[in-house]
Amino acid sequence: MTRNYSNWPIILVLLLISAPIIVMYAFLLVDTVTTSPPGSAIPNGFTLSHWRFLIDPTATGDVWGPTLTTILFTASIVLIVLGVSSTAGYALSRLNMPFRRFFLGGILVMHAFPLVTLIIGVFLVLQFVGLYNTLTGVVLVKAGLMLPFGIWIMKGFYDTVPWEIEMAGVQDGASRFTVWRRLILPQVRPGLFALALFAAIDAWGEYMLPRILAPSADFEVLSIYLNTVSDPDSTTYNFNLFKSVGLFYTLPILALYAIFRDRLMNIFGGGTKG
Amino acid sequence: MRTRSYMVGLAFMSPALVVLIGFFFLPVVLTAVFAFTNMSTSTGISGGSYVVTGNLLTALKENGVPVEIADALSKASFVVDPEGIAKARDAGTDPAFLAEIEQQLGGRTFTDERLFERELKTLQHRPRSIRDLKLAVDQFELSILNSRFTSESAARQAIATFLPSAPADTVDQIVEASYTGWTWTTANFKQLFSTSDTWRIVLNTVFYVAVTLSFTVFVGLFLAVTTFYLPAGAASAFSMLWLLPRITPIVLYAVMWKWFTWEGGFLYTAADALGLPAFNYMKGSVPTAWTIVIMVNGFIGAAFAMILFSSALKAIPVQQLWASEVDGASRWQQIRYIILPHLRWPILFVTSYQTLSLLSSYQEIWLTTNGGPGRTTTVWALESFNTALNSYTGNLQYGLGAAMALILVIVGVSLSIIYLRLFRFDELLGRPKIEF
Repeated sequence: MTRNYSNWPIILVLLLISAPIIVMYAFLLVDTVTTSPPGSAIPNGFTLSHWRFLIDPTATGDVWGPTLTTILFTASIVLIVLGVSSTAGYALSRLNMPFRRFFLGGILVMHAFPLVTLIIGVFLVLQFVGLYNTLTGVVLVKAGLMLPFGIWIMKGFYDTVPWEIEMAGVQDGASRFTVWRRLILPQVRPGLFALALFAAIDAWGEYMLPRILAPSADFEVLSIYLNTVSDPDSTTYNFNLFKSVGLFYTLPILALYAIFRDRLMNIFGGGTKG
Repeated sequence: MRTRSYMVGLAFMSPALVVLIGFFFLPVVLTAVFAFTNMSTSTGISGGSYVVTGNLLTALKENGVPVEIADALSKASFVVDPEGIAKARDAGTDPAFLAEIEQQLGGRTFTDERLFERELKTLQHRPRSIRDLKLAVDQFELSILNSRFTSESAARQAIATFLPSAPADTVDQIVEASYTGWTWTTANFKQLFSTSDTWRIVLNTVFYVAVTLSFTVFVGLFLAVTTFYLPAGAASAFSMLWLLPRITPIVLYAVMWKWFTWEGGFLYTAADALGLPAFNYMKGSVPTAWTIVIMVNGFIGAAFAMILFSSALKAIPVQQLWASEVDGASRWQQIRYIILPHLRWPILFVTSYQTLSLLSSYQEIWLTTNGGPGRTTTVWALESFNTALNSYTGNLQYGLGAAMALILVIVGVSLSIIYLRLFRFDELLGRPKIEF
């Protein structure tokens, strides 16, 4: 296309509407290593003291325990989501079974339907089965709530695999399970990878479920930790400290995003390619 | 071999089915069931028990229970029966004394503690110390007031032994009123439909969804179209920037908005330096609170919309755009006649998807304004959540909260079914090509 106009007015407007994001994220980075005089947002000195919380648990409490818990939490959720979505997605994409239409419609409704509404019901279910206030309970719920999305995405990836591969496998006498395991699964590896990334980012940022479903449990994930640290009533009220803790918490996500941006873009749209 | 292929399919589905039934189907059913109960923290989640308290008796007197019956229930009486004897034996009372009690007073009932004591003092084997005597007396005490019965029949039996003369319907009324567990009721819905608060929250919700949705679609559209025309470097910089709100963990995102808008934060400092009114914009006034709520949610939504629109724009055949330029179309005409028609389905999709998620989202509002100032930015989902799981008073009303959630579930499911029709669900259903 020809350039029959100049770019800078558009860039200016874009900068203007992006201003809150630019300011917030720029100061997120800058404020963690600087000090600023009271009543001003402009930094006037360099310091590493806001990062003291990494080695000194007296400032905000131990940060490494919650970090380990969050890693465990995220890893378990990713494993469950990958395992269950890869089989169920295959069944919905390729296998014949009763109520297939119904399952597919159900998954789609669940995918479209926002799940936070069910939190009261989920709370009651956990109370009845005795998983309330346990890490297992929160992991299962979080993984469960991500499943409709995961299954739908995986179904989309399976749909792109040519039928011929499968037919050849079946012709040679392999069982459907072997066909899936040996022939089809390697074909959808990019899909599994993208789903794992997405699930990891989502689980890492989860705040609500641990807060509501395990309010007095003896474990703490980083989101809860950050929220406790940034409580306005706390004595060490200091935005620079919150930002340092927040940046520490978000760095893994930013790193994943920076490295795998293209793969994530596919899936962030919400699996709308059908 | 049809069943065999069915089995394979179901086997592959089974792990997903178990989880989905547990965390979707059951919660929906439970929400629907408990919407018709008065379950709360004070009634407990599992069944309750039967307790007649002083307050309850006062209330019952006002509701037509005869005063003499209510008063009689509030008194204690002393019955010499095998159960009382056994209890006294366990409490360590002298067996000889007990044998004498049983022989002399067996089967008698005393309504007055002093009378009973005086009677006991006439017995030969009575204990020396008054304390031991009192201890023995206590074991025969039979009181309805404040004792806990685990079943309805136990409560009835206790009242019957206590007041054999009480009419049956009065006993029914007392037993029913003394139940501390949850009961079935439609009061939740009546309450919802009768309070004016409900309609204010509905209005808030409609306003919030409509404005945030417009923000999302227009900003998303603007970003997608402008980045489409910008050189690749600038375009990818802006799209990366706008994805940040979407991937940032919600707690940090909320903290950043607090920093941006609170006292001592960025806007506050800037407004102060420029001589503009500086206050806590998130909580200080209703218009600023709404603006921030809408922006907090709108930025996340706009990122989502931008990705969808951008990928749809890439699918436009570029020859169409070249041809239009040759014909002398301006940028605006290109957008109006080529780009927007191509984006019809993505726009419809974003609108429907975001309507649903905005209707039920409350995380962002909860972590920023929390419905304030006052209750001006409270939306339906937040109110339902606060009622059921996050009450400041400490009494969590699961029943009422579930009723509010149920309405949301019904609205949500109907909307998603309509959307499925709209997006031609049938086309997504290819038949499996291998049939055994």
